[in-house]
Amino acid sequence: MSARSSLWNTAKKCVTIGLIGVTVKDRYVSIAAVRGGSMSPSLNPVTDEVSGSRVSTFDDYVLVEKFCLGRYRFSHGDVVIFTSPTNHKERHIKRIIGLPGDWVGISHIDDVMRVPEGHCWVEGDNLLSSLDSRSLGPIPLGLIRGRVTHVVWPPSRIGRVKREIRQPTVPSY
Amino acid sequence: MGPSMLPTIDLNGNVIIVERASVWLQKVSRGDMVVLTSPEDPNKQVIKRIVGMEGESVTYLIKPGESDECQTIVVPKGRVWVQGDNIHDSRDSRVFGAIPYGLVHGKLFWRVWPASRFGSMCNV
Repeated sequence: MSARSSLWNTAKKCVTIGLIGVTVKDRYVSIAAVRGGSMSPSLNPVTDEVSGSRVSTFDDYVLVEKFCLGRYRFSHGDVVIFTSPTNHKERHIKRIIGLPGDWVGISHIDDVMRVPEGHCWVEGDNLLSSLDSRSLGPIPLGLIRGRVTHVVWPPSRIGRVKREIRQPTVPSY
Repeated sequence: MGPSMLPTIDLNGNVIIVERASVWLQKVSRGDMVVLTSPEDPNKQVIKRIVGMEGESVTYLIKPGESDECQTIVVPKGRVWVQGDNIHDSRDSRVFGAIPYGLVHGKLFWRVWPASRFGSMCNV
């Protein structure tokens, strides 16, 4: 009988921890893995921007805070994680360059566009190898799932992810 | 709740149960009513009906009530086309385009109030 009751106790503890974990992950903070070198050198730095060969064989893991999702108020330079508009199962990490109402330049067609209401313009830090708003278009703010605040792994790279203000890629004239 | 889903959901308070499992399991399809975050304002949640899933073609009246001119588009990958049932007074995909599936949060499942319209929201 004591084996059954200890199994029941373990089961209760697992469910409680699971519920607390899911709540914290959905509403407060979570950890995400960074894949790819599109945010080099801030995240997953690369030695060669074109070939993408990485400095470290391990991916960075970052802390994602969800408090920003209460009012969807972001600042220029915030690094955010968002669901891809073309595949809802994928998530991307990029930096916010333009907020609703901003004018952004699209260099490959020598044009400017205004970021529509409720959307933002995101770009990776490594412009040579980044799938971002330059090809996906402005991203609805409702797709953002959190803001990246710190790198938590590997230990040598633990630190804040800084907010960097950068002008959007403007036409070269 | 605005008038965009008349007559299915009227202007007096309706209480409807929304379930999230179908969205997560991708079991939503054309004809379902869904709750989604508006692409025009992320703080607003709106209810619309899915008229086209990715890959399907949707034909809609450009100016309902004024002319019979139609336009046909194919819904791009990863997106859905949503419209309100009251096409004369609804801001939907005819205004802001097909929305990414990641903005869809729940499917309308069962109407609890008013009691005279109690019942399932499927095939309504």
